[in-house]
Amino acid sequence: MKSNGSKSKEYVVIVGCGRLGAMIANELSDKSVDVLIIDRDKNAFRKLSPSFGGLSMTGDGADYKVLKEANIEHATSVIMVTNNDNVNILISQMLREKGINGEIIIRLYDPERRAVFDTADVDIISPLLLSFDMIKQKMNEAIK
Amino acid sequence: MMKRAKRALIIGSFNRGRVLASALMKSGYKVTIIYNQLEKCKILSEIEGLTVIHGDESKPYILEDADAYNADLVVALSQKDEDNLIISELCKKKFNVKKTIAVLNDPCKTELFYKMGVDSVVCDVNAITNLIEQQVLYDGIVKNIPTGDGRINISELPILSGYTSVGKKLWEMRLPKEAIIACIIRGEQIIIPRGDSRIEIGDKLIVIATVQDEMAAIKELTGTL
Repeated sequence: MKSNGSKSKEYVVIVGCGRLGAMIANELSDKSVDVLIIDRDKNAFRKLSPSFGGLSMTGDGADYKVLKEANIEHATSVIMVTNNDNVNILISQMLREKGINGEIIIRLYDPERRAVFDTADVDIISPLLLSFDMIKQKMNEAIK
Repeated sequence: MMKRAKRALIIGSFNRGRVLASALMKSGYKVTIIYNQLEKCKILSEIEGLTVIHGDESKPYILEDADAYNADLVVALSQKDEDNLIISELCKKKFNVKKTIAVLNDPCKTELFYKMGVDSVVCDVNAITNLIEQQVLYDGIVKNIPTGDGRINISELPILSGYTSVGKKLWEMRLPKEAIIACIIRGEQIIIPRGDSRIEIGDKLIVIATVQDEMAAIKELTGTL
């Protein structure tokens, strides 16, 4: 994410308030970025830190009406980190189809599912591949 | 019709899967079902000739196990829209399946599904509402066969006395653009109608129309709604 004072203010929407979603939300809020986090379960928001200064919204992130209410059209970045790969994919594709231009980042536990994307306009983060890369790097260092 | 057995993959539903599988097998398909509950899979496996795979249906390797590369038809029936979308997309884009059909709960997502390459989207709620609407509104229709992925309906409409079309020639009727009268059945006689064919009491009309224009066509022919 670029921080550029002259540009319009950054607004980040996060779908899924799991551990990762909450961590990102807390971090962005600490950096005084406008952030809104959506989860189906309102208990999930307990993971947010007491100092969290952003908005939280209870609702189904796969429902475009909910996203619209979250002012998704004005989001500079949308981050999908629900624990369901398919939901993350569906939302990201729905946003692109609706003409949302902001940056889209999704987490995919199963990197094989990236086959469903024709274009590279969605950033895919796979914990599996990241762990693999890190461990591989460590191993290479150890061998040297 | 076809000599080579076509292969169908049915995914994500026990009851509907079972019914559909039997129907497809009857019409000569070789059917594989993927389902995620072991107990239900055991029941399914008792059906003769049916291949059953137990696993998470939206995982690419499970689809590969089910030989998705060679499937002619994939039907995604799960309760979750996102699963059905991803299954169809994987089948289309990764496994190059010719035809994919997905069931959808949320009618708002129909367009998204088509744009993402699903060949045919069946929206439960819409389909049932349409069906009930037809039952309620057009008691007159004897048979109604949806075709063309559910976008075209073929219906058989008996002409009763009092209908506005009685005694009229076809060119006098103002049928909507996307509707035609394909055939007039008059007793034993079958007439392929032309503009000057006249509609009589007791005729049965075979009407082919898009779903959008069907209502208007029937209204024009019957004068009632």
